[in-house]
Amino acid sequence: MTENLYINDSKEVYDAIVIGSGISGGWAAKEFCERGLKTLMIERGRVVEHKKDYIGENKAPWQQPLRTKVDNLLVKEQHKIQQQCYAFTDATKHFFGNDKDLPYITLKDSNFTWIRANQLGGKSLLWHRQSYRWGEYDFKANKADGHGNDWPIRYQDIEKWYSHVEKHAGISGSKENLENLPDGDFLPPFEMNSPEKALQAKFAELYPDRPLIMGRTAHLTKPTKLHLSQGRVQCQARDECQAGCSFGAYFSTLSSTLPAAAATNNLHIAPNSVVHSLIYDENTNRIKGVRVIDNDDLSEREYFAKVVFVCASTIGSTQILMNSTSKRFPNGIANSSGVLGHYLMDHNYNAGASGDIEGFEDEIGRGRRPTGLIMPNFYYKPDAKRNFLRGYALAGSAYRESWQSVQHQDGLGVDYKNKLKQAGKWRFGLYAQGEMLPRFENKMCLHPTLKDKWGMPQIEFDCRFSDNETNMMLDAAEQAENMLKAVGLLNVSSGVTHGSPGLAIHELGTARMGIDPKTSILNGYNQSHDIPNLFVTDGASFCSSAVQNPSLTFMALTVRAVDYCVKEMNAKRI
Amino acid sequence: MENQQNDTNIINSESRRKFVRGLSLLVGGTVATALVSGNSLSVAMAHSLKSQNLASEVLSNGKVFTLNQLKQLKSICAIVIPKTETLGAAEVNTHGFIDNQLFHCYEKSKQEKNKQLLTLIDIVANKLFSQPFIAIKQEQQFELLTELDLGKNNFDEKQRADFKSLKQLICFGYYTSEVGASQELRYLAVPGGYKGSIPYKNSDASWGSQGLYY
Repeated sequence: MTENLYINDSKEVYDAIVIGSGISGGWAAKEFCERGLKTLMIERGRVVEHKKDYIGENKAPWQQPLRTKVDNLLVKEQHKIQQQCYAFTDATKHFFGNDKDLPYITLKDSNFTWIRANQLGGKSLLWHRQSYRWGEYDFKANKADGHGNDWPIRYQDIEKWYSHVEKHAGISGSKENLENLPDGDFLPPFEMNSPEKALQAKFAELYPDRPLIMGRTAHLTKPTKLHLSQGRVQCQARDECQAGCSFGAYFSTLSSTLPAAAATNNLHIAPNSVVHSLIYDENTNRIKGVRVIDNDDLSEREYFAKVVFVCASTIGSTQILMNSTSKRFPNGIANSSGVLGHYLMDHNYNAGASGDIEGFEDEIGRGRRPTGLIMPNFYYKPDAKRNFLRGYALAGSAYRESWQSVQHQDGLGVDYKNKLKQAGKWRFGLYAQGEMLPRFENKMCLHPTLKDKWGMPQIEFDCRFSDNETNMMLDAAEQAENMLKAVGLLNVSSGVTHGSPGLAIHELGTARMGIDPKTSILNGYNQSHDIPNLFVTDGASFCSSAVQNPSLTFMALTVRAVDYCVKEMNAKRI
Repeated sequence: MENQQNDTNIINSESRRKFVRGLSLLVGGTVATALVSGNSLSVAMAHSLKSQNLASEVLSNGKVFTLNQLKQLKSICAIVIPKTETLGAAEVNTHGFIDNQLFHCYEKSKQEKNKQLLTLIDIVANKLFSQPFIAIKQEQQFELLTELDLGKNNFDEKQRADFKSLKQLICFGYYTSEVGASQELRYLAVPGGYKGSIPYKNSDASWGSQGLYY
C-alpha cells in the first residue's frame, strides 16, 4: 500500500482520476491500478475504513438505545428523505446522507426520491447485493420497440467482463441455463428451505417457462483462494449487511476492490473532495482535471490527470457534467447532443401477492439468508397482446411467521406469551421488480439559482411513472395472485402500491451511451463522443433499465471501459 | 432438537472460547474480539441473575407518562406478557422502554392516544370495581383488558385498535429485550451460515434474531 494513501493537496498529474468510490469507482480504480496507472480516486465524503468504522455492526437490538429505530428529531432534521429507504436503521444511519445539506427539487406532480451515501465506499456499503447478468434480449429491447435508443453493445461484448468481475467479487447462484438470464461464474447458491423447494417443483410443473430460482447475490457462500487473499471469509448469514460486514462476506468497494487497488501502490485517495466541475482545455479538447470544494471547510482545490472516469452515481455524475460549462459546451460538458439529463429511469417495485403455505410445521430455517428467490422476467420477448411493453421479475421467499405477525392476534397472558414463543405458519410472497421505459420527459436539470452549501446548483427532477409502468404493475399483481393460488397457497391476496421512482435506488440513464453522437453522450465504451479522455461508467450511461438489478452491469461496463481506455492511451489516441 | 441444544450450548463459556477461536481463524484476532466483546453475543452469554439489574421499579415521572401512569402501564405489561419460566414484560422494564420509545420515535398524537387509553382503562376499572386499575385484583385486570382486547362491553372498536397498538409496543419492547430475544426466544448473533430446514417442534422457541431489519 502507498505510504500516504490519503492526500489533500497535490500538483501531480495522475494517469487517471476516478470520481467516486462506490461500486463503479472502486472497480475503475482497481483496474487502472492493476494496469500500472497512477490513479487518484476522489470521494466527496469522509473516509470509512473496512471493519473499524462499522460502528453499528453486530449490536443486538437491546444494545441499541432505541432498539433499531432512529430518533424522530434526528430523522426530521437530517434524514426526512433517507429514512424512506428500507435499509435506514439505527445501525446504518451514519452511511446515509444528511438531507439538510443535500437539498433537491421535484417539479409539481412529479416525485423522485434520491438516496445518498456520501462516504468512501458509497452505496456499495448499503446495496442489496443482488447480482444478475443482462441477457441478449435486454440489450435489444430499445431497438425492438423503439423506446429509447439502441444500446451500442450486445451481450457478447460484455460477457467476458461479467466473468471477470464475478470471479473477483464472488457471486453466489445456481446455473439455470435460461435464455435471457445468462449463468455466471458462480459460487454455490444459498439453500432453499423445504417449502421453497416444494413451490419450485410445483412451478416447474405448472409454469415450465417461469422457473423459480435462488437469488444471485454478491455473498461468499464458499470463498475461493482469491477471496481469502482479499481478507474476506464465508458469509455468516447475519443479514445485517448494511451495517457493514467485518467478515467481508459481501462485495463492497471496501472489502474487495479498494484493497486490491491499494495493494498495487498506484492508488491515492482524495477524500472530502466534492467535485464541482471538470477542467476543460478548449485548445486540446481534453479534460485536464477536476475542480473540487472541500467537504468540510469549503475551500477550493484542483487535481489533474490524463483521463477522467466519472463514477459519481447516475445523478451525481450528470450533475458534475452539467455544472462543467464552457464556450463550446454551454449546456454541460460532452453535451453536444443535448440529451444530457434526459431518460432518467429507476425500477418499479409496486405490486405483489402473498399467501399461506400449508404444512411443514416440523421445520424451521436457521440463520438469516441474505437473499430471497427470484422468478426471472418471463416477458422478455416482445408481445403486442400485452397492454404494456417490457416486463418484470418476481422476487420472494418462504418464511415462518414469528411474534411480529402473531402479536396482532387477540389474547393476553400466559397463552398469548406461549403463542408468541412458537414459530407461526409458513408464508410466501412474490413481489414485482418492473422495467421502467426510457422517456425523454423524465429528466433532471440544474436549478438556475438554488445551490447547496458547496455551491453546486441543486438538481431539479421531473420524473414519473407512465401508464406503461402502471399497467405492468396491475398485470404483475394479477399474475402473482393467480400463480400463488395455482400452486396451492391459501388466503392469497395481492395489490399494487404507488411509490415514486427513486426508491428502488436503481437510478439509471441521463448520460446515455449510443452509436449516434447526435442522440447520445457516450460511445459503446462509455467514452464521451465529444471528448476522448472523458468516460462515464456508472448507471448514468444506461440506455434502458431492463429488469435486473444493475450493479453487476456497472461493474462489467466499468472494467471494460478501463481496458479500452488503457489500450487507447497506449496507442496514443488518448 | 439438535439445534435447540447447539444454541443453548453457545451460551456456556467453553463454547464461547471455542467460538472466538474459530472466529479468529476466520477474521483475525482483533476483529473477532471486537465482534464478540461488547456485542450481543457476549451479553447474551454473560447474563446471570446478578447481572439482571433491569431497573423495572417505577420511581419517578417518565418522559411521556407520569409516575402513576407508568405504574399502571407496568401492571398492564405484567398482564399482557406475564412472568413464566422466563421474566415477563414488567420485569424487563417494558413500561420504561415504551415511555422512552414513544418520546423518541413517535409523534405527539400517538403519545396522547396512549395516555388517553390509560385514562380510559382507569375509568372503566373505577366503574366496574370502584378502584383504579393498579389496585384491582389480577383476575379483574385480566378480565378488563380481555374485554378491551376484544372491543366488548365497555369498549368499542376504536379503543380496541388503540389497545392493539399498545400491545404491539409491549411486544416490540419485550422481544427486543435481552430476556425476550435471547431467553424466551433464541438469539443467534452470528449464525455461521444458513440452513433452509432444521427440525422444529411446538415446544421449541422461535428465533428472536429474525426479522429485525437492521
